[in-house]
Amino acid sequence: MGQRITVDPITRIEGHLRIDVEVDGGRITNAWSTGTMWRGIEVILKGRDPRDAWVFTQRFCGVCTTVHAIASVRAVEHALKMEIPLNAQFIRNLIIAAHAVHDHIVHFYQLSALDWVDVVSALKADPAGAAKIAQSLSDWPGNSVQEMQAVKDKLAGFVAGGQLGIFTNGYWGHPAMKLPPEVNLLAVAHYLQALEYQRKVNQIVTLLGSKTPNIQNLAVGGVANAINLDSSSTLNMEKLYFIKDILDEVGSFVKNVYLRDVAAIGSMYPAWLGYGAGVTNYLAVPDLPLDGKGTQFDLPGGTIMGGEMSSFKPITSFDDPYFQENVTESIARSWYDGDWNRHPWEEDTVPKHTEWTPEAKYSWVKAPRFGGKPTQVGPLAAVLVGVAAGHEPTKKYLTEAVGLASKLAGTQLGVQHLHSTLGRHLCRAVRCAVMFDTAVHQWELLVGNIAKGDLAIFNPPVFPKGEQRGFGFHEAPRGTLSHWIVIENGRIKNYQAVVPSTWNAGPRDEKDQRGPYEASLIGNPIADPKLPLEVLRTIHSFDPCLACAVHTIDVEGNEIGRIKVL
Amino acid sequence: MTVAVVGLGNVLEGDDAFGPWVIQWLMAHWEFGEGVSVEDLGTPGLDLHPFLVGHEHLVVVDTVRSQGAPGELRLYRKAEILKHAPQPRLSPHDPGLKESLMALEFRGDPPREVLLVGAIPGTVDHLIGMTEPLRAAVPLAAAEVVKELERLGCPPSRREPPGEPDIWWERR
Repeated sequence: MGQRITVDPITRIEGHLRIDVEVDGGRITNAWSTGTMWRGIEVILKGRDPRDAWVFTQRFCGVCTTVHAIASVRAVEHALKMEIPLNAQFIRNLIIAAHAVHDHIVHFYQLSALDWVDVVSALKADPAGAAKIAQSLSDWPGNSVQEMQAVKDKLAGFVAGGQLGIFTNGYWGHPAMKLPPEVNLLAVAHYLQALEYQRKVNQIVTLLGSKTPNIQNLAVGGVANAINLDSSSTLNMEKLYFIKDILDEVGSFVKNVYLRDVAAIGSMYPAWLGYGAGVTNYLAVPDLPLDGKGTQFDLPGGTIMGGEMSSFKPITSFDDPYFQENVTESIARSWYDGDWNRHPWEEDTVPKHTEWTPEAKYSWVKAPRFGGKPTQVGPLAAVLVGVAAGHEPTKKYLTEAVGLASKLAGTQLGVQHLHSTLGRHLCRAVRCAVMFDTAVHQWELLVGNIAKGDLAIFNPPVFPKGEQRGFGFHEAPRGTLSHWIVIENGRIKNYQAVVPSTWNAGPRDEKDQRGPYEASLIGNPIADPKLPLEVLRTIHSFDPCLACAVHTIDVEGNEIGRIKVL
Repeated sequence: MTVAVVGLGNVLEGDDAFGPWVIQWLMAHWEFGEGVSVEDLGTPGLDLHPFLVGHEHLVVVDTVRSQGAPGELRLYRKAEILKHAPQPRLSPHDPGLKESLMALEFRGDPPREVLLVGAIPGTVDHLIGMTEPLRAAVPLAAAEVVKELERLGCPPSRREPPGEPDIWWERR
């Protein structure tokens, strides 16, 4: 048996995740993913009014608030077989798209770029050289020599002050860091610019949602955004044009900076287009519905199994039986009472904690399965599904990104390289660009519908006696999210949330099949077991957010070293 | 001048509801002038950053890990918050404040002064409902926030009669 390394905690934000790997001959030979906190939301919701559920579910996690609100109202509406007005759908869609663009920018620049970018090395950069490289990628105004010089000066001043602040604890000078100083400098410059653009796009969520985090404008049956073009206190043309201006500005950053940075950085780490595939079964649900009931969508959904594009099966509506029948969760290796693999409607949540035992139970996260198989979710899944479904915007931006990365790497890259650590980053940038285009489309649909004189925003829900079952799904920034509800006499009888980080971070199951995180680590190199940057690279590429997957009990394991992560 | 008063915490996790609770208490008892925003932001992690941009001063109410009995308050200024590199901590939203402030320091436009009013939690678990020592500390923490706003020259005015704090997450 090789050397065992424990990395704990692995997320830079929200929630606790621990990764154990065995290393032999400089390669990872085995891996375990552990959620170290229990989540008890299902228990909190029992007995409550289903119309209030979304207010509570968006408090699962302070980062993914909007997505849990959306999935919750969709689940109740599905249980009641409701339609919602078109305006309500388009307003929700604009919030979803703006939130996704914000989240993807934050993930790349603020949460994972520093796995690839050596900030300290940027001090050695020639600003003119950095600007030249940046300008070869795009004519973005923030790529000037002056901008690069200013950022270098700022960084130098920071370091001269004896501190690295936000950049303390990075893996600076690690042998796996390969970018030239000039590329590191341009990445730091774009890191700073990204802070501004992610804040800007979030203003759309604030304006339409009344507040963020934790939007206030939803209701089971629609939204609470009164529309009156003659009133200053409601949604009017002035506010709609304010939204459009932000979209245009942020869209330019996404296409000219984010998408190209990822392609450029990817081309300089070609080996990482080969590591990190793991589970190549993919699931993405359709989203941004174009009608009141969710039978047509701007973004396609479906599954791809075994990495075979020809295996594509579509998911086509909010009532899709293929999705409904195939989702289960296994607790065979999770700290719950029993060893079942059940449909979410049939689950219960009875915690039963034991020692961390890799041969038996070792995580608070359940193990979701699609058709009994471990399945990866996230932008990589959404992009592959988009390609398989012939979705034009996805194909357009993927071709652009892969084309640029191929040119810079001097080798032809293809879809096969996307099943990888850097493939996940590349697809997230592609998805972000697609989301931007889709947001503009949704804005046009909303304005067009209002112009027709349709001002409806809400259909009141009616709760019949007896039991109703529903599910609501949403293709969130981190992947497929679904909420499953059982209502009895107008009250919540059961509620389960199957979240993206559960799909990806879940442990083995009753058949001993590894989850996506675990499988993706096998074969990754480890240059220095004391500084396992490579583990972080692959795990961060999934964009882990474990607060909603699990919650608050700390578990101490048998470990040879505790590695702290920035 | 603008001041942001933000409450941080997860209302679904016992005593972690302290920050949001103090915000509701403040809004029920006080009216705030132009330039003072008072918000419950939940547990935004690094998404806290957009809310700190453009404010000259910042007042944060949150739970903190410190030696002492549940409900005891601890006050911190910016230098103390930034002194150590980010550390893992009891509640999941920990990296938010420190990392967001550090990002703003690097950008070059951080809030000039920061006050963190922290309460030591008793039970932080997956349940709704704050323990008695934390409930008792709510008016004390609110008084610290008011004192800070007075010091900064933007005192709130008392609501007469005061309203009832909207602790919506405890209603069934």
